Amino acid sequence: MNILPVELIHRIFLRVPAKHLAGLRYVSKLWYSLISDPHFAELHFHHSPASTNACFVIEKGTVAYFVDLDALFSDNNDALQVRKVSPRFKMESPPHFEVLGSCRGFVLLHQHESFLVVWNPLTGSSKLISHSHIASRFKHKGWLPWEDHPYGFGYDASQDDYLVVVPWHDKHGQDHFDCFSLRTNSWIDFNAALPKPLGFLHWHSPGLFFNGAIHWVPSILNDYRDAILIFDLKERTFSMISVPEQLETRSWIYSGLALLGGCLALYNRNIGRVKTEIWVMKEYKVHSSWTLYQIPTFDFRPLYLSSAMDLIGKRYTPDKSEFYIYNLREERLQHFKYPSFPGAAFEADAVYTESLLPLPSDIKDKDEEGEKGHQFLHDFFEQLDVAKG
Amino acid sequence: MGSPVKKIMLCSSEKEIFSVEEQVMVQHSVIINNMIEDGSYNHEESKIPLDCVDSKTLKKVIDYCTHHTHHHNDNQEDLEAWDAQFLNVDSNGLYDLLMAANYLEIRNLLDLIYGTIKNMIKGKKIDEIRRIFNIKDHGFTPEEEEQNRKEYPHFY
Repeated sequence: MNILPVELIHRIFLRVPAKHLAGLRYVSKLWYSLISDPHFAELHFHHSPASTNACFVIEKGTVAYFVDLDALFSDNNDALQVRKVSPRFKMESPPHFEVLGSCRGFVLLHQHESFLVVWNPLTGSSKLISHSHIASRFKHKGWLPWEDHPYGFGYDASQDDYLVVVPWHDKHGQDHFDCFSLRTNSWIDFNAALPKPLGFLHWHSPGLFFNGAIHWVPSILNDYRDAILIFDLKERTFSMISVPEQLETRSWIYSGLALLGGCLALYNRNIGRVKTEIWVMKEYKVHSSWTLYQIPTFDFRPLYLSSAMDLIGKRYTPDKSEFYIYNLREERLQHFKYPSFPGAAFEADAVYTESLLPLPSDIKDKDEEGEKGHQFLHDFFEQLDVAKG
Repeated sequence: MGSPVKKIMLCSSEKEIFSVEEQVMVQHSVIINNMIEDGSYNHEESKIPLDCVDSKTLKKVIDYCTHHTHHHNDNQEDLEAWDAQFLNVDSNGLYDLLMAANYLEIRNLLDLIYGTIKNMIKGKKIDEIRRIFNIKDHGFTPEEEEQNRKEYPHFY
């Protein structure tokens, strides 16, 4: 084939899933620059009809696994590959990572006692964040407890900035939320008042980024009122919303949040029951829109909902975790023997849409020429959006 | 019987003239639709010169537009089978079709070709992609290339 014009290569690339493009960067220097271009990555993330969702699992802290969630629907078993990636950033011994959040193709990891790291597993782009200045003021010196603390990671579109939220207690028993801005590469002060004392205990970690805000729910719900804590990244303010009154709030019910079909969802890992309850808030912040779905298996953690109403979830048993699909329309449960992960009943994982996006620190100067050069892409997407209706 | 079918003339790079139903081209090509609408095409005298489209490719493009005009009510499966057969060409033929569809702005044909090329790329090793796309000079220094091959052996 003759050499294709750049404009046409671009248009083809927009149809190729991000996970394939990551490898195509090494075909040539031209392809590398086209695929690595921040404008292209942004357009691909928002408009590509080939977006892919992955479930990311860190097992024993050394190797990261990626399960292509869309491939679970495919009849083609070859598509169901579990990719294995070794992080390229420095890992201390013994390596032990926790997944604290995900946003726009990046995951936020925490290594005990040393650092936080933001990582795009597809592009390898990563950024280490030291929290030593907080650690010196901790109640328990040198110890940043991750469990049951409302950590968060999200994106503020108004500033084109990624924010990492770190909660901590100081020596005087005071609660703090500190925020790291990846654009300015610094910790920022903000004096947002918490709606009520949190105590930081029993908060489900990681926070869920959705709609420009990070959402947390206590792992054990005591009251349906003001149960979900929301931190708006643009306004830098906190608010709270209630969960359905019908929800059982008892101490042995563990709850968590998920993003299902573009809606916030709350699930109950009701130990000792045969069903899992999933409440979906069909309209954001509209209390009357909470809708109940019941999955006929216990301890089903929902991960992802397809347009065909297939709900992918994970089930944990003491010796392994496995994937299931439950079709909400046909009320049919399907079990996947593969992939399954041995060990850890509560392994660290996150679900996210894969992207080729760079971090602000990866982007050199954006020159005028670059902006102009992408006009045709913007036009193209306008057409595409119109066509999609 | 109604009025005779209106025809337009298309002229390939080899100056070969193709007479096509106007409706067929207007429905598919944004460029030709614009020419007819703004009156810049004169049915008595005009020929639309397509200097960058050779006869072989133009014939295929006309086949595509004609089939999709007259068979748009066929079931999806039949249309897809026809499209697959239609695009069963070598990579140079595909390239020519892509350039022609791009020039004439035939959106559904473009989508079809993009999708085909996308499938040619998916899951292929880098060496194979370089061959398909005729990339002789990848632009990496020998050191960079060696480094990439070492670091990502599964891509090659």
